[in-house]
Amino acid sequence: MSSVSEILPLEVIDKTIGQEVTILLKDYREFFGTLVGFDDYVNVVIENAVEYLEDQEIKRFQGKMLLTGNNIAMLIPGGKPASN
Amino acid sequence: MSEARQSQQPRQEQKKKFEGPKRESIINLAQYKDTEVRVKFIGGRLVTGILKGYDELMNLVLDETVEYARDPEDETIIHKDQAKKIGLVVIRGTALLSLCSLEGAEIINT
Repeated sequence: MSSVSEILPLEVIDKTIGQEVTILLKDYREFFGTLVGFDDYVNVVIENAVEYLEDQEIKRFQGKMLLTGNNIAMLIPGGKPASN
Repeated sequence: MSEARQSQQPRQEQKKKFEGPKRESIINLAQYKDTEVRVKFIGGRLVTGILKGYDELMNLVLDETVEYARDPEDETIIHKDQAKKIGLVVIRGTALLSLCSLEGAEIINT
């Protein structure tokens, strides 16, 4: 019996490529954008990113943005940060 | 000593010696599968959700996830009433601080 389950986290991320994703960093920061790609360290490239700090939109970025895997805590496929 | 360091062969042997058998995680995540768990992160985030999947690096997949807000002034204070439903999420194993089951758990007044 294998020690891993059927739903693999990296497969879930792989399926969200080309779709919108919300990335929650270890601190209060969140990024929302279209997922372009990622690697084994879950360094992530997103497009047309919006940066949120404590649910307040603080910046919009055009084009691609690379986020280091270092600071990433969570990835939410699809979801725009809910206000409630 | 310096000879061994210069030649390639002994260095490789030394490297081999430190490679033990492939280690498995000491936490059996299979026991939490499809049950509600509470996950804390380095940095202070806190979520609960149903564990749907994981890998050997302890990346997790949670469903019906709820994130609890932190107090901006004091991270140890958690506002239970300001919960945010975020649904299906992928959690990075590198950011994990703790994981525990919510089944059979209860809140005690302190």
